[in-house]
Amino acid sequence: MTEGAHPTWRLPPAPALLVALLLIACAEISGASMVRFKLELARWARGTMLARPEVHGLVGVRDVDEQIMDEALTRFDGGLRLFHMHAEGMGTIIILTTMVAATWAPTPGWRRALVALLTAGGAGYPVGYLVWAALIPFRGVEDGKRLAEWLVWIPFGGATIVAMWLLVGVLVMRLRSNG
Amino acid sequence: MTADTEPLRTSNRPPTALTVLAALATIITAYAAPVFAHHVGAYTPRDNEISANFKQLKFSLEARKFDVARRLYDEGALRKELRARAGGLPPGLDDGVRAALQRGDAPDAERGLMVFVVALARDLALEADRQLSAAPADARAAIGRKFLEAIWRYYNLVDFAVTQRNARAATTVRLAFDEAEGYVKAATPAPERLREPLRRIVHALTGVIEASSQSARRDS
Repeated sequence: MTEGAHPTWRLPPAPALLVALLLIACAEISGASMVRFKLELARWARGTMLARPEVHGLVGVRDVDEQIMDEALTRFDGGLRLFHMHAEGMGTIIILTTMVAATWAPTPGWRRALVALLTAGGAGYPVGYLVWAALIPFRGVEDGKRLAEWLVWIPFGGATIVAMWLLVGVLVMRLRSNG
Repeated sequence: MTADTEPLRTSNRPPTALTVLAALATIITAYAAPVFAHHVGAYTPRDNEISANFKQLKFSLEARKFDVARRLYDEGALRKELRARAGGLPPGLDDGVRAALQRGDAPDAERGLMVFVVALARDLALEADRQLSAAPADARAAIGRKFLEAIWRYYNLVDFAVTQRNARAATTVRLAFDEAEGYVKAATPAPERLREPLRRIVHALTGVIEASSQSARRDS
């Protein structure tokens, strides 16, 4: 069944809006926490890394180890910052794209699928940066990144990309049927 | 209420499908690239206290601001480290640098600072050689790579000064360094061969330290 084109915008479902707003709220809280607990976070990460010298390849020579620690701490901080930025951005993207899906999807089934993919993918992807940051002190920069990729970035980022292209396909079909 | 059953809840007219399509294309372009690349930022190695202090001293000497250089030397991390390592350095190095700064002798002060930084690089090469002999085979490439980065961070500070005074030693160090890097950064690393170029680095840098110390004694 194909529904006709809507003369007005349709709002996304309330759960999608809730997820998007929660994501933006988490982004703001994480930004504030990064400032408020900067020292505590760095101290915790440093202590956790020093307790696992073999994971981080520490060799017991200050001139070598300080660079390893500095890179890991910079990446740890970067992971938190990237979560903050991506969560803000993806929250907005969820609202925008689910509204497009709610308005233009040809059938209720399409609409549900698109909204679900856009919401889950958009909300999950930024969490990958948080996971990566949390894993760095325990698993190291590269191993943490590998885990975050397979656990979060690839599945959720992939869901978002698929949903975006499906949405593009839906709109192309709409254009063709209108033309 | 879900999107399936909801009535029309907004009043603004939506844009055409073409406009929305263009907007989506922009969003995909902006967000798909980070998703594929898993953008995680870039890391640029920073100076440590010693290398930062060395650069400050060098710039002060170049500007012939000897009072500034003397203060930076007296209060800086470089002198603290130099004194802590005095046992492994040419005798009188600290006094020599300070005296050169006092009398406004930039080349002599620079030579003293160069000797210290070269000694730091040499000690790292010695330690790398020692650790590589004791490390398990699968950890050697990573250990070697980290030591080489640390050695280069110091040597790079004085490469020009070493080249001016002992071009052969500088060439030996650079060639040995390139060879060592090749062993740890190759697709199939060969860290077991790393110790030979490291020893050449140690030998060449020891020569630079000894030659500079002798010339300092002759000049005094």
